[in-house]
Amino acid sequence: MITQPIIGAWTFVAIAFFALGILVYVAIRSRTRRLDLEKAIQAFRSLDIEAFRNLVDSGEEAFLRESLSPKKFREIKRQRAWAALIYAWEAGRAAAALAKIGQAAQRSPDPEIAASGVQVAENAFRLRLQTLGACLHLLTEVVLPDLRGPSLPPLVDQYERTAETLFRLGRFSSRGQGLARPKSA
Amino acid sequence: MLSPNWHRALSLFLLISPHVLLGVLAVILYKRRLYREFPCFFAYVLYEIVKFIPLFALYSVQGVTGKEYAYAYCVTLLISIVLRFGVIDEISRNLFRESRFLKVAARRSLQCVTGLLLGVGALLTVYAPGGNSATWYAGIFVVNRGAAMVQSGLLLALLLFSRFLGLSWRRPAFGIALGLAVLTSLDLAMFALRAAFTSEAAADFVDLLITGTYLVCVSIWMGYSLAPEPEPIASPAVLPHDEVETWNRELQQLLKR
Repeated sequence: MITQPIIGAWTFVAIAFFALGILVYVAIRSRTRRLDLEKAIQAFRSLDIEAFRNLVDSGEEAFLRESLSPKKFREIKRQRAWAALIYAWEAGRAAAALAKIGQAAQRSPDPEIAASGVQVAENAFRLRLQTLGACLHLLTEVVLPDLRGPSLPPLVDQYERTAETLFRLGRFSSRGQGLARPKSA
Repeated sequence: MLSPNWHRALSLFLLISPHVLLGVLAVILYKRRLYREFPCFFAYVLYEIVKFIPLFALYSVQGVTGKEYAYAYCVTLLISIVLRFGVIDEISRNLFRESRFLKVAARRSLQCVTGLLLGVGALLTVYAPGGNSATWYAGIFVVNRGAAMVQSGLLLALLLFSRFLGLSWRRPAFGIALGLAVLTSLDLAMFALRAAFTSEAAADFVDLLITGTYLVCVSIWMGYSLAPEPEPIASPAVLPHDEVETWNRELQQLLKR
């Protein structure tokens, strides 16, 4: 007969092997993943900051609330929140790529590029964490469209700050100084 | 089923070989000056080698009872658990050292994860105590199972968090984290089985798996500490001038939108 402690033991075994599976996946991905500037550029190109700003604009939302029937407003609000969520998610992915570029620049022998790298990485880390909060916020709006929440200006500001420092880093690098490939595992 | 001779030979091989490799690893850590960067891990490696000598002597000497060996094993195991927590703290410090922002934000998140895991670990120790055996060393296995769960959870959180943020690991740090994560994950499984199945045959089999796992983990540490760091490549190959200009143009366009 299978007793409770034995079921418990096998549950722990299952948890352990699940964790092990994730570990193997992370280890393999870390070895195959390389810094891809092209992808980072493409990720940035795909993000239309104005469109995102428009999607999360509270004035626009108030106008829609007044002009549309409650049912239609909920439908439109859900669609807008979902679109903004995809933007925020993509911005987060781009931020992770930027963080890698920033860390690579941090190891440059040129102090100017290294300092810029620090700034890019710091801004990218901030942006990445902010996008996580924004995604949760927008997901709440998708589920509960009638909920009146605050707008998302910090995320937009953070994105712009990151883009600005990245732009500066690009200008420094174009003088022909080296960017180091990140020391990934 | 293995014959007693084969079983003993395999047990001896799995007991001795990881500790010989740990000796080699200690030399590598010393020669590559990695002990300066990872002093706690270096101390852990040395401790694992030093603790093996009296334990192996107790295991080999005829007059020593199983209970005496179990006492010694459990005391050394508890010190190992404490040192592993130190190693995890060292890895997280090493990972976040280049970012002022992450030093605060990420470490705070990790503290929350630690608190959560400790709570779950304590609850499981109380509500899922393992087998019906009332022996004190079965209790030690339950404690180790809880510690392994907290440690593997922390290391997993660290690996996933770094992946989420796009943090770059240095090879030795990643190797230490990966090896320790594999060790603690499998410890979780093995010590859960060890606490539930207390028969001699089951205990022998699980002990073989535990020592085999240890050999795998030491091999991971060896591999990553020997692997060279990728050399920084000068920009013309990786980041050509025109590519940077394209990058600038792209960002200018983005900022003007």
